[in-house]
Amino acid sequence: MATLQPTLGNEARKNKPIMTHPAVRLLEHERWQVGAHLVVAFIALLVGILMGPFQTFRRSPWMQNTYGNITEAITGNAELITTPIFTYYYQALTLHGVLNALVFTTFFIMGISYFVVQRSLQRPMRSTLAVWLSFWLMVVGMVLAGYAIVTGQATVLFTFYPPMLAHWSFYLGLTLVVVGSWVGVFNSLATYFAWRKDNPGKKVPLATYAIIANFIMWFTATLGVAVEILTMLLPMSLGIIDTVDPQVARVFFWFFGHPLVYFWLIPAYVSWYTMLPEQLGVKLFSDTMGRIAFLAIAVVSIPIGVHHLFQDPGVSEIAKIYHSALTFVVVAPSLLTAFNVAATMERAGRKRGATNLIDWTWKLPWGNPVIAAQFCGMLLFIFGGISGIMNASYNMNTALHNTTWVVGHFHTTLAGAVFLTYISITFWILPMITRRKLYRPGFALAHVYTWFFGMLLFAGTMGRGGMAGATRRTDMGAPGAYVSEAMGFWMNGAAISGVILLISSVLLYIVLVGTFFSEKQDESEMKAPVATEAPEDEYAPPIMEKWRLWVTVIIISNIIMWGPVLIQALDFTYGFWVTGRPDIAR
Amino acid sequence: MSEQHNQQHIHIDEYERQWITGITIMLGVFFATLLAGAAIFGVRPTGQGGFVNPQKLDETMFAEPGLRHMGGDEYEAVILAQTWFFQPNSMTVPEGATVTFHVTSRDVIHGMIIEHHNVNFEIIPGHIAEARTTFHEPGEYKIICSQYCGRAHQNMFATIIVEPAEDATVAQGDE
Repeated sequence: MATLQPTLGNEARKNKPIMTHPAVRLLEHERWQVGAHLVVAFIALLVGILMGPFQTFRRSPWMQNTYGNITEAITGNAELITTPIFTYYYQALTLHGVLNALVFTTFFIMGISYFVVQRSLQRPMRSTLAVWLSFWLMVVGMVLAGYAIVTGQATVLFTFYPPMLAHWSFYLGLTLVVVGSWVGVFNSLATYFAWRKDNPGKKVPLATYAIIANFIMWFTATLGVAVEILTMLLPMSLGIIDTVDPQVARVFFWFFGHPLVYFWLIPAYVSWYTMLPEQLGVKLFSDTMGRIAFLAIAVVSIPIGVHHLFQDPGVSEIAKIYHSALTFVVVAPSLLTAFNVAATMERAGRKRGATNLIDWTWKLPWGNPVIAAQFCGMLLFIFGGISGIMNASYNMNTALHNTTWVVGHFHTTLAGAVFLTYISITFWILPMITRRKLYRPGFALAHVYTWFFGMLLFAGTMGRGGMAGATRRTDMGAPGAYVSEAMGFWMNGAAISGVILLISSVLLYIVLVGTFFSEKQDESEMKAPVATEAPEDEYAPPIMEKWRLWVTVIIISNIIMWGPVLIQALDFTYGFWVTGRPDIAR
Repeated sequence: MSEQHNQQHIHIDEYERQWITGITIMLGVFFATLLAGAAIFGVRPTGQGGFVNPQKLDETMFAEPGLRHMGGDEYEAVILAQTWFFQPNSMTVPEGATVTFHVTSRDVIHGMIIEHHNVNFEIIPGHIAEARTTFHEPGEYKIICSQYCGRAHQNMFATIIVEPAEDATVAQGDE
């Protein structure tokens, strides 16, 4: 056995062989590193999440009428039908997107990645200073961007398409969040390479393998949005340049935009592949197939982003077709995951006495919030996967593009599978950080199921609303907005889900805040389900860890897939002649 | 299958092999269906209508947006989007009319969805978006801006009125 690495574990463990899943006592520095990221993530989420239900209320004709009637009864004035939070719809929508999809996810992923890398490699991060540098860069970035949005100077939504122009602090803030994450990425890679040097010939544990794949993909993808912000948006918002090419900006944004969703998804997969088996008390069905899935996602998730540009007039049809084809390829790793995880769950069900074809499904521990959250996330992800394939289907996209259908879709993926799995991780890691028991596990379970059913209803109603022609990003409650009868019906349905999800969010925050004040827990009982060793009995080709090769593959495939798209979008005749419009976003 | 064998190659379970074959066939069939839909039925996303100088729209066909009758059932609609309205605001076509749309934006990115028809695209300044659809059912359909374009985005829509064939006398585009 390789010599003991400078272990993070407690004194007692130094004399014992390293267990695959050691009971852990988090070291002080880990508690602070992971805890700080989680606390900031959940503060951002609190603001972002609350903006959601109010949007569903605002869009619902029934809610608007009821609210108007109540207001009239109280004040005698029927004109007072809106509250401040309802009228700032687009500002609230910007907050919802930026805080949930960009800030919450990035802080959570960095925090959890530090945990996974340190625990599974059994060594501290290469540089503690870099962890905090990364953290503070991201915090300053969040505050700058948040300032611009809250003061109404960046009502540009989380996609911030030019020529609509926000205050410079919005772009600078987002840049700092991304740059901060880069510091964390390189710190994690350096930690991995140091481990690699000390452990020649050994397979890296699957969890860290996934994190490395994720970070390589993330760094490559964020280069796209960095080009967009640094060469177009930031200089224009500072008054250095006056004009921009919006189509080229969209190409750079969506170079980043699709891998972004995999950046969110991979940490959820890490939980399903490497933590769920331990929580269920069984071995993962296939470690090697898991590696193949992660590698495939890292390599294929960037050169497919044109499926977000199917309805853009500046992208050729041939590019739309071949990006559509490759999008179908990136479905494969998720279907491999479905098989692998389901097979692992079947093992767990059999272990609990299941004998026939389907009874293993209900013999699983559905009453454990940590496990149920992941199961519910997976169930939502089935709908997310199916609707995603429809979105990516080249010409079928014409019926769905920019309708509320798309909103339904990504609420089953991001707000479904990804969110619920992050919550699952939080439910077991927060007690380790606070060294206290999870407050009211019953509330935690209630949160999981209300969220599941609420999101199912939300996705269903928004999907049907989209088919009726309701557009996403539209303040349907504003005076003079067009809402057909069918759209109104489905938006009323979405408002019911808004009520459920609002209750669910309250339950979540009772559990999270309560855990900081609940009774102390004996640390020896805590167990971090993170494997420190890769299984020896499964063969994985060493080429899968040749990262230099895979980075080369990523670079070449993206030049091939994105090069022609960029050249076609560049308007050499009138290029960059579209004037920035700061007046519209404020 | 012995342990020694497993050291030499990736072990894939028999059921997983079948699953992989199954999903490969499934995705292949899906994709073939899409291509067939595009090739046989002409269901295609927005076409590239070329570049246009957003600062000199008055020198292009967008100087006079409107509906033109091209003979037979063929119509051509030149639409200019800007914050927060479409020009023309209302169009009337007879039942069965096939309309080709040429659309651009004067300022920011807009979008365009026609209710119950396969017209749905981004309107990007500097580019002309093209789409074509046939109006089979008489009625009133809204052209809705589908991309966030500022504080009055929700008020940005136009109307297409499709008149029943018998009382369609003359089709016209009014401003």
